[in-house]
Amino acid sequence: MTTVVAKPASPSRGVKRVLKSPLTARILFPFAVLGVWYLIYYTIDSRIFPTPQQVLEFMWEEVTLTSGVRYGSVVSNLYGMFAISLARLTVGFFIALGIGTVVGLAMGLSKSVDAFFHDWVMAILAMPALVWALFLGLAFGFGHEAPVLTVILSGIPFVIINVREGVRNTPKELFDMARAFDVPQNKITRHVLLPALLPFFFAAIRYAYAIGWKGLVIAEVFGSDRGMGWTIKFWYDAHRAHGVIGYALFFIIFALALEKLVFDRLADRAFRWRPKIDAVEMAEGDFGAVRSEAFLLTESQEVGDGVALTSMEGESRDG
Amino acid sequence: MATTLEQSAPGARSAEEERLLALRKRDTRRKWFWRIAGYVVVLGVWEFLSGRLLSENLLPGPTRIVETFPQLIENGRFFSSFGATLTRIGVGFGLAFLFGIILGILTQNRWIDGFFKDATTISLTSPGLIWALVGLVIWGFEPQGWIFAIFMTTFALVTVNIAEGIRALPKDLIDMSKAFGVSTSRRQREIVIPFLAPFIFTALRFGFSIGWKVTVLTEVFSSNEGIGFEMRVASQLFRMDEFFTWVLSFFVFALFLEKVVLQRYEDKFFRWRAEVGR
Repeated sequence: MTTVVAKPASPSRGVKRVLKSPLTARILFPFAVLGVWYLIYYTIDSRIFPTPQQVLEFMWEEVTLTSGVRYGSVVSNLYGMFAISLARLTVGFFIALGIGTVVGLAMGLSKSVDAFFHDWVMAILAMPALVWALFLGLAFGFGHEAPVLTVILSGIPFVIINVREGVRNTPKELFDMARAFDVPQNKITRHVLLPALLPFFFAAIRYAYAIGWKGLVIAEVFGSDRGMGWTIKFWYDAHRAHGVIGYALFFIIFALALEKLVFDRLADRAFRWRPKIDAVEMAEGDFGAVRSEAFLLTESQEVGDGVALTSMEGESRDG
Repeated sequence: MATTLEQSAPGARSAEEERLLALRKRDTRRKWFWRIAGYVVVLGVWEFLSGRLLSENLLPGPTRIVETFPQLIENGRFFSSFGATLTRIGVGFGLAFLFGIILGILTQNRWIDGFFKDATTISLTSPGLIWALVGLVIWGFEPQGWIFAIFMTTFALVTVNIAEGIRALPKDLIDMSKAFGVSTSRRQREIVIPFLAPFIFTALRFGFSIGWKVTVLTEVFSSNEGIGFEMRVASQLFRMDEFFTWVLSFFVFALFLEKVVLQRYEDKFFRWRAEVGR
């Protein structure tokens, strides 16, 4: 008798469990977005607001190069524009990384250098990319200079701050011990400083990339005649909403793909030597420690950034 | 270094202490020297560049900006522009902040956490510019457009900070309250929210620092008043002195709000838990 009752109950319980699992919720999310999209579509009175099908169709034509759209004076398409933007991002990113690491190391090692640069690094950090974009666009014209410089200027404070924080967080005992045992300086750098710096350096790379990407888009809208940012502006100026939303989706897909495919892989590889502790957990712990202190200090801006960053890493990692 | 000194010689304390005090004094003096040197060098280079490497019309020096500032105030649009921008920040970021906090607290529920996981990631990784443009093509110059843009760029920052706090929740307290059958709403009210308070403050400060930038960006596209609008007009008319004065005055104002006002509030608010916070 009991089995007879239990048998029809168990599948429904299984269904319930599936429905209740976080993964189902995650899968449901895009459908909810589509639902809201249709809701907006039917409630607002707009001639240009597209349906999801229109946008997907547009994106498909762009991907397969069947739309026949040639952007402006440059004969280019989705891939060409992406390539230009990526090249600019990469150049700016590596320059920011290079200069930022040097300045960050100097600031971490010397209090005087730290006092010299600190306020100005903070000022650059707090300056909107829009300001750089507008000014540099006017100063250098519509070439590569304005976007690349914007990437450098928006990314560099994060590199400096993270590297400096990393140097400060290197265990002092290890340095003292190395000095006591007369370990040569280059060996100390390689075996003590670099490994301790690595999580912070990695955080710097990730954040500089994310911020640089955002700065680049703005710079291309205001100070360039090609690139992804310019293309989205092109469709905006043409009053083609499906173009704007389509390219916005390209952006999001690209940024997510880079986060998951490149940075998560890199993180795994960079921290392979550290077997037990989860690398992200570790960096998070570090930032957490710094952060709770920061409630009482004045410099919590940078630490707040660190927190958001590491949580972002956590978010994308969990998935 | 200072602590090891102190620990190693507990006997000769007063002499050591004096030495330490002198050292510390020298340190602060040196720090201030380099700090002021930094200001002098940067402002000096800026002033030198303007008119020499770059035309003075393109890059006005600091003195020129100080001269332009009173002109803007006389102009009369100054305070109304600040007001307009602050209203936008208040409405847009206010909504995002509320939603972000609620969502952050709700992430305790794993289903809701899963549902909004991708939303937060997308919001964190996509540039504010695309939300500004998407909001514009959907709603035009209606307020929904810029509210949408500010909301989409900032809510996840708040959520992420709150979720960070949720992850640090004292598990034993939660377990105990569950074991004693304390209702969910009471648990939230009396354990979760007090514990989250410092995280909420951090979220506010951090969210504001991003929020005002997005707000200015939306004003560049869809406004006829406010700082962003003035910046656009000034740069289009090639009045770079006005452009920099607008930018820098709001920049200084936002930094003041963020670093001084909010920080002081936070310190005051949490003085009672100074030890715990550490």
